[in-house]
Amino acid sequence: MSIRLLALIPVAAAISLALSAVVDAVALPLFLDTTGTILATALAGPTVGVATGVVTSAVNTLRNPTFWPFVVVQIIVALYAWVAARAGLFRSFRTAVPAGLGLGVIASVTSTPISYLVFGCTTTGGIALTTALGKALGLPPLGACFFGSFVSDFGDKAVTFALVTSVLHALPRRTAARFPWALRAIGAA
Amino acid sequence: MTGGRLHPFTLLAIAGALPALAWILPAPRGGAATAAVLTAAPFWLFLLLLHDVPTTIAIGLRITTMVASFVWLVAALQPARLVEAMVAAGWSASVAYLLAATLSAVPVLKARARRIVDAQRCRGLSPRGGIAARLRALRALALPLVLSALHEVDERALALETRGLVPGIRRTPLAPPPDPAVEQAARWALLLACLFALFRRFL
Repeated sequence: MSIRLLALIPVAAAISLALSAVVDAVALPLFLDTTGTILATALAGPTVGVATGVVTSAVNTLRNPTFWPFVVVQIIVALYAWVAARAGLFRSFRTAVPAGLGLGVIASVTSTPISYLVFGCTTTGGIALTTALGKALGLPPLGACFFGSFVSDFGDKAVTFALVTSVLHALPRRTAARFPWALRAIGAA
Repeated sequence: MTGGRLHPFTLLAIAGALPALAWILPAPRGGAATAAVLTAAPFWLFLLLLHDVPTTIAIGLRITTMVASFVWLVAALQPARLVEAMVAAGWSASVAYLLAATLSAVPVLKARARRIVDAQRCRGLSPRGGIAARLRALRALALPLVLSALHEVDERALALETRGLVPGIRRTPLAPPPDPAVEQAARWALLLACLFALFRRFL
């Protein structure tokens, strides 16, 4: 791995964790905690993406240890983003947003068993409340847990993909060309 | 009941050791204890909302243990000593750099995010209104933050090269923390105890 790609990993992980300040300002029910993982993958491929996801989870764990079991989700997000980048799905919002919605389904399917078995579906307030809503609607415990994860992940991952698409298109071409996957991800190579 | 298959002496040893350690080890200082309680409290609330009381107590105690141990770790662990220990143990300096650099970059980027929010508000950006307006505001706030962070990558790469942090090259730690044989044995014993418990639980 080149020095530039090594330097990208902590920056991308810090982006994932610092975006919470922006989300707080606009008061939207989003996490955006996989932005750095998806961005790093789209710029530099799966190895850098997976490393970013693992580092993000490790540092987030020091703030709140309940994040560690979800490192699996970060890895799956990186692998999915790699497939999306190879297919050039970051070329426009029209392709990126449906890809993000697809990731939302995969991420919620992955996180549901972890959330159910380890935390009893109480990972965050928003997910706990939507799980309670699912329970009130008559869903079984695992179904209510999936409902909670799905509601939070579905929109979050679509917005994250759209944001990464915006970033990739806003990068100057010369800067983008320094990263091995950036131009292919936006369909320019 | 869980643990019923263990030897009676083992049960007595566990029941005696846990309270003994709780009293012998130094009590957590105010800050760490408060952080642990504040982190764990919402879980109890949500568990009570979703589950019956016995399930709430079972999962709540597990989560509280998890939270308390990591809060103690964060309060006691010095990142610089961790990096030195990892390098001394033969880990790649790159791995140590990833953790240390991320830990130091997060507060810097968070502070920059707050400055961008203030600056965009001064320019008339309103982060309120309908969902579409908020998403537009999100883009206007997140894009400068992410782009400015990405522009730092080259500077960081240059700094790393200047300091000789090239992958594949072993570094010599300046002041590695001492690692007594007793502590090494204790670490292995803890790992083996966990593996043994896992084996007894599921096999």
